[in-house]
Amino acid sequence: MRVWRDNFAIETHQGVVGFAQTIFGRVFLLLLFSIAYSAATEAWKPSGVVFAAAAFAFLPRYRTVIIFVATLGVLAKDPFWYGMEAIDYVMKQERLTSLSGKYSAYVALVSFFVCSLATLELVRRNKTLYVARRPVITLIAAVAVMSVTAAYPILHGTPLVLLWAFITVFSAYIWFLAYSLVDQRSRDRSPHLFQLGTFHPFWGSSSVPYGKGATFLRKTLAKTSGDLAVTQLKGLKLVLWTVVLLWLRKLLVWVFEVKLKIPDVAALQAFHVTGQGYSILVGWTAVVWATASDTLVLAIAGHKAVAVARLAGFRLPRNTWRPLQSRTLAEFWNRYYYYFKELLVEFFFIPTFLRTFRNHPRLRMFFATFMAAGIGNAAFHFIRDIKFVATQGLWDSIVSYQSYVFYTFVLATGIGISQVRMNSGAKPSNAFHARLWSFLCVWTFVVCLHVFGDETRVYTLWQRLSFMASLIGVK
Amino acid sequence: MDTEKKNKLRTFIKSYLQEHGDAGELKDDDSLFISARLDSLAMITLISFLEQTFGVNFGDVDFDVELIDSVNEIELFLDGG
Repeated sequence: MRVWRDNFAIETHQGVVGFAQTIFGRVFLLLLFSIAYSAATEAWKPSGVVFAAAAFAFLPRYRTVIIFVATLGVLAKDPFWYGMEAIDYVMKQERLTSLSGKYSAYVALVSFFVCSLATLELVRRNKTLYVARRPVITLIAAVAVMSVTAAYPILHGTPLVLLWAFITVFSAYIWFLAYSLVDQRSRDRSPHLFQLGTFHPFWGSSSVPYGKGATFLRKTLAKTSGDLAVTQLKGLKLVLWTVVLLWLRKLLVWVFEVKLKIPDVAALQAFHVTGQGYSILVGWTAVVWATASDTLVLAIAGHKAVAVARLAGFRLPRNTWRPLQSRTLAEFWNRYYYYFKELLVEFFFIPTFLRTFRNHPRLRMFFATFMAAGIGNAAFHFIRDIKFVATQGLWDSIVSYQSYVFYTFVLATGIGISQVRMNSGAKPSNAFHARLWSFLCVWTFVVCLHVFGDETRVYTLWQRLSFMASLIGVK
Repeated sequence: MDTEKKNKLRTFIKSYLQEHGDAGELKDDDSLFISARLDSLAMITLISFLEQTFGVNFGDVDFDVELIDSVNEIELFLDGG
């Protein structure tokens, strides 16, 4: 396997790296990347994102402007990437026909960017402010206050729609702003325009910032022409690997969904609730396939974004990195969704770890892990899916979150125990049978937990527990 | 920080890197975390080491990863710079 991988390590060949630094080499690399990226995105046309990345890499003097304009361009193309459900729902509820939902979202977007700019400037000038010292607590408190205000009958009509539009945008961008606020403490912080360019950056992201914030991006930027060539070659390899994964997923969809006609987990859960039968084999195949499919989707999305960022010159680690090789749950957490884990570690784990249970090392490790993978994870998803507060009401949105809270708490307990064991010096053996055992333990845990991690909020925790029990033959 | 303490720190970081498959050179000003050479879980291990070996109380510090991002920065931090 290692020999096979080494054959593809083109970035280690001096000749290739040298060629990638010539004008002809750069054009050739860009052309190859562009073709592979259009295959990976299935757009089959040249992408402006690829050219923006190349411009960022080769025009260092204009990087701040390029990142801002490119991110703005991508936002202009898809201004409602965070979803409009809450805004549309409140407009219908308030019977507003004169106001456009899109107009409200545009107003909210502009207001959010102006507020962010003002906050960054305020924090830059005065680092003793609470928002400067505790940015995450401040931002979460802001979402909470706005959501409670919107959920209770204080506002009506256009002001309510505009508030929901602002909450929607704020919730989508909250972690980007958090990273930027943290960067204001850095000695060599980036300009505000650069910071705004990292808000859902042009290379791609979800609500989780792929590439974290300006601090990380600045430090990972290739410094020399050789570094840049190596980084871009790695980006090219990654985008080619994305195409392979995309086609692998298509093949698996054909096998499981078209040929074997395996229903999805939501359909099976519906069968279970309505008392319709299904075999245990079909049940497990559906859950395993759903886990595999979600992993592939996450890997493909992350690889596309990281590949473009690498073309721009950022030496970013992958978002998903060989998750099947995870030997422990803690390692799985690191390999499965790197930037989400980093967000939770930076904003929840480290502050907890530094301040609590200093004299009880095991409890300290467990509690900090629980705060990140449990509380932080639950808070992140509740804020990301803030639309449910609008569509279900505040209390019902909390009640319908029960299954996901259960998911995060079980996950956090598992990772916490794994972390404590690793920290106590427990190391898995490298023997084949030990590796196989680790693989089975980690992935059985992940597959079983997948039943509860579904984010649709349609079924209660009891219904999901009952469905899980049916998979092991308990009626 | 005296030479013995700095050597202790270097040895700890080098052995951690080696344990995690990184046999590359470690210079005193090499970035450890921001460069993504080590991840945040390694940061926790380093923080625990600094607390136990040098008696640092990070609870009293306005923590930032830049404080411990390289051997030199750790030295500066421990010396109260």
